[in-house]
Amino acid sequence: MILEFRLPLLIPHMSEALIECLYAVPDATLKAGDRLVDLRVDLSSAFSQDCPPISYFRIILRENAILREFRLNCGQYCKVGELIAEFSSVAEGRDPRAPRGVRFATAGIMHHQGMWTAQNR
Amino acid sequence: MKIPLRLGPLKAEGYNIHRSGVRWLCESGQLCRPNQVVAYFNISFERTGASPSDPWPLGEEREIQVACAPRVGGRLMFDTAAAPGGYLSIVGFHVWDAEDLLGHLETDDSSDDWNDDAGRLRLLILAGRRMTPLADVHSGLLPGWHGRRRAWWYDQGETPITLLSLGICDLTGVMMGEQGAFLEMFRSETAPSQFVFVPDHPIAPAAPVLLDQLERSATQFRAMSSDLRAELSNAGAMSTADDWMFAGTMLSMQQRCPIRETYELLSASGLTRGGPADAVLLSLTAEPPTILRHKTLGYRLHVLTHHQAAAGPAIRRWLANAFESIRRTTDDIKRDYENLTDAIEKSTGAHVIILNRMSTSGGEDISNYAPFDSPMSDTLANIAAKELNLMLHDIAAGRNVTILDVDAIAAEIGGAEHLPDGVHQSSAIQEILREEILAILKGLRI
Repeated sequence: MILEFRLPLLIPHMSEALIECLYAVPDATLKAGDRLVDLRVDLSSAFSQDCPPISYFRIILRENAILREFRLNCGQYCKVGELIAEFSSVAEGRDPRAPRGVRFATAGIMHHQGMWTAQNR
Repeated sequence: MKIPLRLGPLKAEGYNIHRSGVRWLCESGQLCRPNQVVAYFNISFERTGASPSDPWPLGEEREIQVACAPRVGGRLMFDTAAAPGGYLSIVGFHVWDAEDLLGHLETDDSSDDWNDDAGRLRLLILAGRRMTPLADVHSGLLPGWHGRRRAWWYDQGETPITLLSLGICDLTGVMMGEQGAFLEMFRSETAPSQFVFVPDHPIAPAAPVLLDQLERSATQFRAMSSDLRAELSNAGAMSTADDWMFAGTMLSMQQRCPIRETYELLSASGLTRGGPADAVLLSLTAEPPTILRHKTLGYRLHVLTHHQAAAGPAIRRWLANAFESIRRTTDDIKRDYENLTDAIEKSTGAHVIILNRMSTSGGEDISNYAPFDSPMSDTLANIAAKELNLMLHDIAAGRNVTILDVDAIAAEIGGAEHLPDGVHQSSAIQEILREEILAILKGLRI
């Protein structure tokens, strides 16, 4: 079965997020609890002001899955609902049936030096 | 009953006070609450008895305005002659006269119990120290770009308590309100008070930065200034207007220590000098996990990312090359706060109020913490915020410090709706925080 990770609405009023880190490569078998991606949400696109309301989030898988591909790279923006990654479920292999969303957890995190914005100032 | 609204006295010995025509902040016929600021003037001074060598009153502050509020509620009716408009409501063509009439207030109360004071307007003095004298803007309340803004009101015989706010954006709206002129702070505070706000342009007020400011000698400041000038000179054609603006602003702000500053106050009783601040308001959000330290001069600097972006290439190169990044643990931040509060206690005795951080998020759904390495506060923002909030309790237990608990307030009224990114609050939270601040100040007055 195909599993998808689409950008969720992490906080009210957000419209997009920046990909800060990708933690897996295609064909990797990921376990529940593995990191998938770090995201940066900047609400100044919704509220115009100089002091940008920025938050960082980490997406963690809550089920085992095989990563098929990331549709975006670090430093790219994605819209809420946009497809970021595709997986195959471990149990059923690459079943072409209608995809469902992969199970994940969201954590608010601190900015860190591994992030795309830390390395591309 | 009709209550005539008169300016009331305002004095500066040795000077005439000139005022502009009135600028109204509401419509004629509007109902207004007691102590609601409804109008304002620009004011200036003309020497009468003072010597030309005497400094001008409030001389550092080129932006001086007087706003006024009726002491009782009712329907406000304008005297149209008081507001000629155009430059006549900007330039001080009128000598201040306590008997000048702005209009009248219609109340439902038909009794004759009102005393003479009912129609004497409460005067709120607003003063802004321009970041540069070039920033002369004539529109609105406290217009332009200021390195310090303040406002106060008190009646004859009263002494105001002064609160200095050194926070970043999570305190800006709370203190300054929607119009940037402290009106919301004074909406519910009729006790004699002065509120002072120093912005985070371009240096954010982290505890080590404030401590360095408190302890910096004139010689040390000259060394900082020479170093920065040399950097820009060496940058030559690479330096841009943005670099020079940043450098000028930084030096302007760093050469002063707002915690030690005293304040000249204009009132119905005349000019007096008060201060330094009785209470200093800080924000935990201003404390970064890493701070810059100058490699040779040793002073600490915290420049918010969007202000670094506003600097030019020469300044950004200087920040990258002349400074080292120092990582700060929660214990380091605690030690910095303790050093700062001890230094404030020794220097001015001011009470310190610290706004804590929001430490929960409705957007988070962690059900298992096993994937996160220890210490989790290095990764998880909400755990870091909780540890920092707890650290504040340790400090407050033994020092002259009060915690302003936005964490509890946001949890109570709804973080997702009122504090969506954990820092920038809704007006509802700001109003509650103002009430908390005023309650803390009330405790200090006793």
